[in-house]
Amino acid sequence: MRRNLWLYRRCLGAQLRATLEYEGDFWIMSVAALVTQGMGIVFLWAIFRAIPQINGWRFWDVVLIYSLVAVTEGIAVLLAQGAWSMAVTVNLGGLDTILVRPYSPLLQVLSSQIGMNGLGNLALGGSLFVAALVRVGVAWSPGRIATAAFVFAFAPLVKIGLNILTNCSAFWLKTPWSMFPFAFHTLGELARYPISIYGVVVRVILSVVLPYAFMSYFPATAVLSLGSTSWLGLLTPVAAVWCLLLGRWAFRRGLLRYESAGT
Amino acid sequence: MTAAVALPPAPAPRVSDLRRDVRAYRAMGRAAFRSLVAYQTSFLFGLLATTLAAVAMLYLWRSVLAAGTINGFDWPAMKAYLLVAFVAGSLVSSYVDYRMAGRIQQGDVAMDLVRPVDYQRSRFAEALGFGGYELGTGLVVAAAAAAVFGGVPAPAHQSLGPFAVSAVLVLPLRFGIVYISALVVFWTRNYIGVQSARIALITLFSGGLVPLAFFPGWLQGLASALPFAGMASTPALLYVGRLAGADAWRAVGVQAAWTVGLWWLGRAMWRGASRQLTVHGG
Repeated sequence: MRRNLWLYRRCLGAQLRATLEYEGDFWIMSVAALVTQGMGIVFLWAIFRAIPQINGWRFWDVVLIYSLVAVTEGIAVLLAQGAWSMAVTVNLGGLDTILVRPYSPLLQVLSSQIGMNGLGNLALGGSLFVAALVRVGVAWSPGRIATAAFVFAFAPLVKIGLNILTNCSAFWLKTPWSMFPFAFHTLGELARYPISIYGVVVRVILSVVLPYAFMSYFPATAVLSLGSTSWLGLLTPVAAVWCLLLGRWAFRRGLLRYESAGT
Repeated sequence: MTAAVALPPAPAPRVSDLRRDVRAYRAMGRAAFRSLVAYQTSFLFGLLATTLAAVAMLYLWRSVLAAGTINGFDWPAMKAYLLVAFVAGSLVSSYVDYRMAGRIQQGDVAMDLVRPVDYQRSRFAEALGFGGYELGTGLVVAAAAAAVFGGVPAPAHQSLGPFAVSAVLVLPLRFGIVYISALVVFWTRNYIGVQSARIALITLFSGGLVPLAFFPGWLQGLASALPFAGMASTPALLYVGRLAGADAWRAVGVQAAWTVGLWWLGRAMWRGASRQLTVHGG
């Protein structure tokens, strides 16, 4: 375990140094992330200028959910962006090199990239997250603080697990593009708003089939005690472990199908 | 300027040249259309992604407008507005910019410089070819979404004329922005960042997610003067009849002016860009 973590950090570190060689790209991607997340907030603000609440959710409650998705995105992009390289790696037979190294193939894949938009997402998402926590208007008892720390710590792992799971489609589709997992990524973005606004089918998909709602909505309900199902948010760690296990399972199934690229 | 590289200097354009050009551009448009159909799996997954985003917006606005009319929008009008904006947004959404950016980054654009056709017009011909398929699929998705969400009202008959003009202008206008943002790669050599920032700006300021009427006055004024409004807001407002009479024609006028302006801006940028192209290796 310790060796795994140490190696993971070393791999990421090497990627980070490689990435920072392209300083111009880093700034462009950071600004792009700020603009993208900023526009989302302007959008929410424009809606909440007209109405005080949506299904009982006020502006800062929704900002909390929204910022959780941004922070999660930032963490996933910084720590496990390699999942998105799976399509190209599998298509070009790049797993050959990975499989002969004495280190978990999945961890190698995950640490094979660092997204440069991660810091931008994390900076803006983090500021919004803090601002939202201050403004949501709940009493911060020790119990609530403990709950918040507990569920928010696990929320990003949900997204990382689901990223692995959906990107493993590369083993079956074999195209060098990640459009299929990207479609699911967009599905996950539905979790930027309270999922109670959706129809029942969409709600079931987001909370059970591909539980993206556990990276934002459910943890937020648990902390804010909003709605009748706020206890579900306490299951965030369970959801996180479940998603990571699903991802690992899909990766192992995929490896069995992997047959390199005939060159 | 680019044409002059490969062609012997012609004294004046002859009719046969014009016919040859038209045939060349038409062939490029057809090839673009066919390539999109041939590799449509990837395109359709991309469409699925934008469709999911649109569905989220429909649900969100249904909840927002459950209480009644806000800023002059009720739920049926809002549905129509969002779906028109969705179809408008699906135009020039695929590949034109990707191909350009890829070829600029790889240096293949040097080959485009020696081709005896105009670079911008060639890309526009391709955008039209892609556009045929994008429009078709966009309309199918919009019709399906309309059916799921209980139908949308027909276009307002008093503004049918300006709506038709505005709808035709959407593609060339969007092409103008997409073309310029792809040319920026000559200077930044990074495209993903430029593209995502562009998409974010267009999505918000075109009124594709939230009608500009929800913005405070100053921002509304700014947004309606920017080129983005013509990419979704103007045709969508005309469809639901929120713009009529002189206002309608004024909005279409702004849209047309930006279409022409961005075309010439793109031409000027290409002239500057092709002078400072870096091609690595050989």
